[in-house]
Amino acid sequence: MMERTGAATPELLERAAPSSARRARGPVAVVECFQSIPCNPCYTFCPAGAMKPLTDITMLPEVDSERCVGCGVCVSHCPGLAIFVVDESGKDGGGVVRLPYEFTPLPETGEYVTAVDREGKPVCRAQVVRIQNEKTQDRTPVVWLKVPKPLTMEVRFFRREAFYDDKTVVCRCEELTLGELRELIRQGYRTPDEIKRVSRAGMGPCQGRTCRLLILQEAAKMTGVPPADIPVPTFRPPVKPIPLGLMLREEELE
Amino acid sequence: MKTSAEAVIIGGGISGCAVAYELAKKGMKDVVLLERRFLTSGATGRCGAGVRMQWGTEMNCRLSKLAIERYSRLEQELEYPRSIEFRQDGYLLAAATETEMSQFRENVALQNRLGIPSKMVTAEEAAEIVPFVNKEAILGGSFCPLDGHLNPFHTTYAYADAAKRLGAEIVCGIAVTGIETSNGRVRGVFTTGGYISAPRVVDCAGGESKSVALMAGVELPTESERHQILVTEPLAPVQGPMFMGFMHNIYCQQTPHGSFIMGRGDPSEPKDGRITSGWRFMEEMAKTCCYLLPPLKELSVIRQWAGLYNLSPDRQPIYGPVEEPEGFYLATGFSGHGFMFGPVTGLLLSECITGAPYTIDIAPLTFSRFKAAKLPAELSVV
Repeated sequence: MMERTGAATPELLERAAPSSARRARGPVAVVECFQSIPCNPCYTFCPAGAMKPLTDITMLPEVDSERCVGCGVCVSHCPGLAIFVVDESGKDGGGVVRLPYEFTPLPETGEYVTAVDREGKPVCRAQVVRIQNEKTQDRTPVVWLKVPKPLTMEVRFFRREAFYDDKTVVCRCEELTLGELRELIRQGYRTPDEIKRVSRAGMGPCQGRTCRLLILQEAAKMTGVPPADIPVPTFRPPVKPIPLGLMLREEELE
Repeated sequence: MKTSAEAVIIGGGISGCAVAYELAKKGMKDVVLLERRFLTSGATGRCGAGVRMQWGTEMNCRLSKLAIERYSRLEQELEYPRSIEFRQDGYLLAAATETEMSQFRENVALQNRLGIPSKMVTAEEAAEIVPFVNKEAILGGSFCPLDGHLNPFHTTYAYADAAKRLGAEIVCGIAVTGIETSNGRVRGVFTTGGYISAPRVVDCAGGESKSVALMAGVELPTESERHQILVTEPLAPVQGPMFMGFMHNIYCQQTPHGSFIMGRGDPSEPKDGRITSGWRFMEEMAKTCCYLLPPLKELSVIRQWAGLYNLSPDRQPIYGPVEEPEGFYLATGFSGHGFMFGPVTGLLLSECITGAPYTIDIAPLTFSRFKAAKLPAELSVV
């Protein structure tokens, strides 16, 4: 499921979730990191020592909720944008989700947005209550969203109203716009594989790194087929463009 | 999906879609095409996208000449709203040895006799046609200006859309699991989406055509061999014609998009149906290409992939009916050239299925030819 949609399974999320009692006491980090990659900034930057020691750099991080003070330093230091801070201590029934947001332009404080879940499905309307964007965050701003308390473990991103439209470019290599994509889906090209063949989206130098999931999501949205049930195109070598001459052996070079 | 049809076509590549269109055009109702994945997902969508008339057997010359003539009018005929990117910039076939040169001379004589305007060229002339070519590496070759290129995806979609407008049903995501026969006749097709009764079944399944034929009890003398291919980043137009060498083992063409697409054959490639990509191909292709077309060594490879050549013993297509079961038709064994022959496959199969007079008599291409002891084989194959 993760490879297809980028969204973790309920079992994995269950393990990462701090207890509801802890969430009700105040802000706490939620580490939704489920792939063993060599990475450790969450551990090295945590000022509270709340991250359990990573004795091997490929270990999955684990947070000690009791030691975590919810400062959110780890949120902007996680290169995978996999850490969030949730806070259900508010007195007015509202909870807060703090999430990393690396797009420009940034929303305005006070702006209302559509909060979405891990698969990009709309969950509720939410208000941006604060934006942290200090130099120490190294261009990973953290946006605070006010959402209903029962939804703090659902909301993981947001969509600005009218943030994209039919002129938005979906495939940057081959310059396919969202409007063109939607027209192709209406014409019956329903999977990223078919859309790739008819429009070249995904055939450019990035090999679909950007457009693959965008196309999959749009196809899912328009056809009603869950993203996990839509076949994804084959990932083809060599992944990164490499010059033909680079593959010659030394004795074949002049 | 319909539960009965006049004809069921198995395979959504160029052959299947062209047969569906031609049958519908001849007035056949209830034509159903079944594709296991999506249109062009097999060999059609994986091919080198070139079309040529320069062949070494008379039959291949006649088939390809007619196919290219039809391709040149296809966009209009099928009323396709996009471009099928048909372009006639020629094929330069480069000779590596004197033996190959004399083979080309014989081929050109044959081609000219059949009305194909190919001609022999010197190494100097070849370098004017394909400026990147390493003159030292070739003796000369042959060139035909009517050979060219077109986009396999759009061409197949164009046929499929036109077939649908004429009433054919095209079903993707449904796999054939069996073919029912009784008393020596085809009765219908079992699929993952149910049973379709049909008196005629056409095997256009490319790399899978052998297993489809087996479902009807027909054992084809074909095998599917993996062929690999790669494409580079795009460049401003510099090379119109396809550059091709049989002994040099290369074909390489710049597409209208600007990328260079190239492939080579390798007899040690697996024949077990796999279409994964291998590193050895990348190295060998780079070596061949950088030797023959040295400036291309600066270009980056964007993507490599593979497809299946469905090889027949004489490297020519297998067309038409079988002795038994009646109603079972073949359009297979294209040996790497099914896309080139697409329009002719559609035409000739529809003629043989509906009993219309043949544009080209397919008797020499039927399955029964393999009973004969010795066949003249096509040698002009990469």
